[in-house]
Amino acid sequence: MSSMTRKTKRSAALAAAVALTATLGLTACGSSDSKAGSDDALLAQAPVADASAIPAGSTMAKIKAKGQLFVATALDAPLISQQSIDDPTKVSGFDAELAKMLAKYIIGSAKVKWTPSASETREALLGNGTVDTVFSTYTITTDRAKVVDFAGPYFMSGLAVAVKADNNSIHSVSDLAGKKVIVQTGTPSTVEVPKRAQGASLIPFATTPEGVKALEQGRGDAYIQDVDLLASMSSVDHNFKVVGAPFTQEPYGIGLKHGDDAMKKFVNDWLTQIYKSGLWAKVYKSTIGSVGETPVPPTPVIGSVPGS
Amino acid sequence: MTITGGDVHALLLGLANTLVLLGAAGVGALIFGSLATVARLSPIPLLRGAGFVYVQFFINVPLLVLLVLAVFALPETGLLMPLTPTVMLVLAMYQSAYVSESLRSGVNSVPNGQVEAARALGFSFTQMLRHVVLPQAARSVVQPLGNQLIALTMNTSLAAVVGIVELTARINQADQVHGQPLAYYTLGGLIYLAISLALGLTTGVIERKVAIKR
Repeated sequence: MSSMTRKTKRSAALAAAVALTATLGLTACGSSDSKAGSDDALLAQAPVADASAIPAGSTMAKIKAKGQLFVATALDAPLISQQSIDDPTKVSGFDAELAKMLAKYIIGSAKVKWTPSASETREALLGNGTVDTVFSTYTITTDRAKVVDFAGPYFMSGLAVAVKADNNSIHSVSDLAGKKVIVQTGTPSTVEVPKRAQGASLIPFATTPEGVKALEQGRGDAYIQDVDLLASMSSVDHNFKVVGAPFTQEPYGIGLKHGDDAMKKFVNDWLTQIYKSGLWAKVYKSTIGSVGETPVPPTPVIGSVPGS
Repeated sequence: MTITGGDVHALLLGLANTLVLLGAAGVGALIFGSLATVARLSPIPLLRGAGFVYVQFFINVPLLVLLVLAVFALPETGLLMPLTPTVMLVLAMYQSAYVSESLRSGVNSVPNGQVEAARALGFSFTQMLRHVVLPQAARSVVQPLGNQLIALTMNTSLAAVVGIVELTARINQADQVHGQPLAYYTLGGLIYLAISLALGLTTGVIERKVAIKR
């Protein structure tokens, strides 16, 4: 069945540095716009909802009235939702840009109040009304769907296997039986690896840079992490490589307060619009797709996974 | 809250690992702490200085920083030790600084006159420490040392951050599966509470037994 897991991406300063290097590298390679500039350009193309789509008394109307969309997200995931070191009010990445676009769709301008979330706190933040939405690599599961609503999915990710660059014996997750496997605390890897590799012993680390470092120091035979994060790290760090295709499907959804069907339909309508207009693909290209050679994936089908 | 047999097994494994960490680091902290105290009380200035620097270093650097330093930075210099011994050593050295401060306060509670009397009777420095000062100092610091062991119990949970699968890491994993943070972290908290209470009560009993009636 679908994985009953929670998903979070935590990364430390090293990852930020990596992302920064990647961004600088790209800029040097002839991209004419600065990254922030191109994101602002994308934001300018983002749609604004018709007044008729926001009936009085609805959640959308309340958000519009307060003039800010309250969003919970991880603030330390490069290319996904990374808080700027220079300006803490600036958050960029795939999740962050989409959150800004949703804010613009409702309010007319991209005003977002960011609240940092951990994988353990997202349901609570939505439940007690601290935030309106969660954009935080939030995997849709049937278990979670009992306490929150998910719009989307808006992205399909999955776990992949990374090994040292000179390792030629491990080709997929099934080769990890009985091996020492580095995983990331608070991510599905801690649950999925024992299911697929009998007798593997887990070595959990808190952040992606630490996991990569531990792999390179030989503390484990492999490191299991989200394929997009591994790809972005390996584009600048050639001491490790990703082997095989992702072995799980992690559909990310936009977390909403449970039972608010009007809001869920509203957000799904917005997603459909940016899927059709190609804006979603542009956001992907300017963030996750800005490193490596990955082509833009097809847009996920809204409501296609259990729990959405 | 759903708890399966597999969860119980996993949590017990985690608890065992926590207790092993606590035991090894606790013994280590008492040994290193005693040595640091002796160094700080010794008549040799160089040794006194070294004891002071050791204690101040470990008191003034956060444990998490020390752990990350030992696990990720030291290997860069060629010193790559397996995870568990590394973490045990770091925990022992960190807590030993606090143990040393507790012991020193105990030593300071022994009246100066007794030290002078021991000297007058021809005791060497070692004899004086062994027969006069430390036995009395130790009795007065049973509860403070117990508190250090309780602090150490809490500190073992930081090992989860650097790849050790102890109680906190197991609780994290169980929560990953069941998605019930409130239930699982409360359970984890209660287990730590039970360990601390056991330590606190034990040291309380010992303290009453060895108390000096002055």
